[in-house]
Amino acid sequence: MAMMDCKQVLANLSDYVDGAVSNQVRKALEEHIARCRRCRVVLDTTRRTLSLVLDIEPFEVPLAVSARLYTRLQEVLSGDRGVS
Amino acid sequence: MTDSAKSNLPGTGGDDDVSLIERVLGGDRRAFEPLVRRHERHVFRVTLAVLGNIEDAEEAMQDTFVKAFRHLDQFRQESRFTTWLTRIAVNEALQKRQAGKEFVSLDDSRDVPERAEEQFAPRRYEAWRADPEKLYGKQELRRIIEAAIQSLPLIYREAFVLRDIEEMSAEEAAEAIGITVGALKSRLLRARLMMREILAVSLEHPPTAAQKLMHTAQDMGMAIAMRMMKAAGK
Repeated sequence: MAMMDCKQVLANLSDYVDGAVSNQVRKALEEHIARCRRCRVVLDTTRRTLSLVLDIEPFEVPLAVSARLYTRLQEVLSGDRGVS
Repeated sequence: MTDSAKSNLPGTGGDDDVSLIERVLGGDRRAFEPLVRRHERHVFRVTLAVLGNIEDAEEAMQDTFVKAFRHLDQFRQESRFTTWLTRIAVNEALQKRQAGKEFVSLDDSRDVPERAEEQFAPRRYEAWRADPEKLYGKQELRRIIEAAIQSLPLIYREAFVLRDIEEMSAEEAAEAIGITVGALKSRLLRARLMMREILAVSLEHPPTAAQKLMHTAQDMGMAIAMRMMKAAGK
């Protein structure tokens, strides 16, 4: 595969991070980032962003929200006609 | 890996979901509650991703589970229960969103160019100076990340939440939203790049020593509150 430019690296960045590119694309992309500091930073900070988001586990269900869900479900499960 | 082998992996919700569903369909309604417990957080994140506020997300979450219960016999097991449930959650949330507004702004349009990456180029090329997890308390970092996710336009936010928080496959996420895998991937790329930029700005100015102390105190306060509620049986 011919050398990749920055735009092509960006277009393949997501799939590369997910490990969903062919060996050929992976090799071309890695050759590019080895010599392009900007793309290397974008790749590294994108990975760190995703890792941070996963680690922090955003959006807990508030306890009161959870409690109201089970109250409503109790009403439905006890009074509903059931699974149609 | 076979489908049955895959469904036995921890966290995939495979066999356990199916056996609970079969119990509900067989007349044991109590089996629906553990099914809800397994997916409550996932559905909440999905409805929140679409609606952007807790009040509406709560209502859409309740409606999702009620609808899932009433139509459980329509679940065909051709896809995972999570995917089927996510589709209901996305639809419930979108209906609620549409009902709540007269006009759909351009920002909210679900009609997006397939090659979205062409319209978004990174603007920041500075490496992160330090590990954000060492600079911020966990609660503060969570607040920053949640605010960043909430600031994404809808079509990018839902792709990001399904793929990068809920860890659904690209195929499952695309099916749940009702778009092609190619469109999902385009949106995801843009969402990830936007998140990277937003976080770079948010994390640019590390907290002062006093702020760090306050963040630690907040985290401790939260941990104590959680422990007290647990002890009180709530």
